[in-house]
Amino acid sequence: MTTAHAEAVKGTLPHEPEKATLEGRNKVLAFWLFLGGEAVLFGTLFATFLALRNQTNDGPSANELFHLPLVAAATFLLLVSSLTSVFAIQAMHRNRPALLRSWLLVTVVLGAAFLGLEIYEFSEYVRHEKFGMTTSAFSSAFYTLVGFHGAHVAFGILWISVLIGQLVRKGLTVVTAPKIYVSAMYWHFIDVVWVFIFTVVYLLGKVG
Amino acid sequence: MVTEQHPQEGSVKHRHRQEGPQRHIVVFIFSVVLTLIAFAAVAAGGVNASFAVILLLVMAVLQVFLQMGFWMHLKDKGHLMPIIFMLGGFFIAGTCIVMALYWVWWD
Repeated sequence: MTTAHAEAVKGTLPHEPEKATLEGRNKVLAFWLFLGGEAVLFGTLFATFLALRNQTNDGPSANELFHLPLVAAATFLLLVSSLTSVFAIQAMHRNRPALLRSWLLVTVVLGAAFLGLEIYEFSEYVRHEKFGMTTSAFSSAFYTLVGFHGAHVAFGILWISVLIGQLVRKGLTVVTAPKIYVSAMYWHFIDVVWVFIFTVVYLLGKVG
Repeated sequence: MVTEQHPQEGSVKHRHRQEGPQRHIVVFIFSVVLTLIAFAAVAAGGVNASFAVILLLVMAVLQVFLQMGFWMHLKDKGHLMPIIFMLGGFFIAGTCIVMALYWVWWD
């Protein structure tokens, strides 16, 4: 059924293909409910972190540990990737699948670069700063919160990569468009969470 | 969802004049500026700690409003339910944070 539907609109895509079918509209609406739940999930992790951020157990403190240039670079990478996923959706609305795939690819590459920086950061902490998961309540809360966000980035990279493959095989249709739209919402949300992480974890950690 | 606007034949061409990338780039520039203000305030040092906390949180909230409003289209028509979902999520998240802070500050 879905393929027949997809064939029918080949070449002429509705203007907002993600909202052209009931399934697409339901997908977008339900994804908002999911993001509300994600907000709760991260809220609990932020609450834990805020409660435990000064419990360093004689291990490194936030102020000793964090290097702002690295955090700024990661922030910039994720912010640009959020913009490129906006461009991807605009390319989708103009029915330009090749351009859409390119912007999605740029988004994935920037996300991977962000993840690479985070892995580098964590490995530096563990190897050179003696700051492991079980060093202190602060370290556990830090790795849980920031690591959970990193896991979301990793999942987003996999997800969008699979969608690029699906675009190549199936093309841009009213079936594939909602999936892409929803993945872009997810990616923006990850960037929104990172805004709070660099503010609350890193910058406030430096302020004390 | 009742408030959702479905593109109708005929109204499509009129209603859906393609939005350009300009305002998204403007949101991006604002985001960069807000981020730079936050980082600069901390990197420069010497800023009063309690003032810095307020400044940083205001910068973060502004940036999140911009990105959720424009990039996630929450400011557009037909987003009442998404806004309710997100506000519900933020309300519970905020309750957890207030609870945790209250717990450690006044134990």
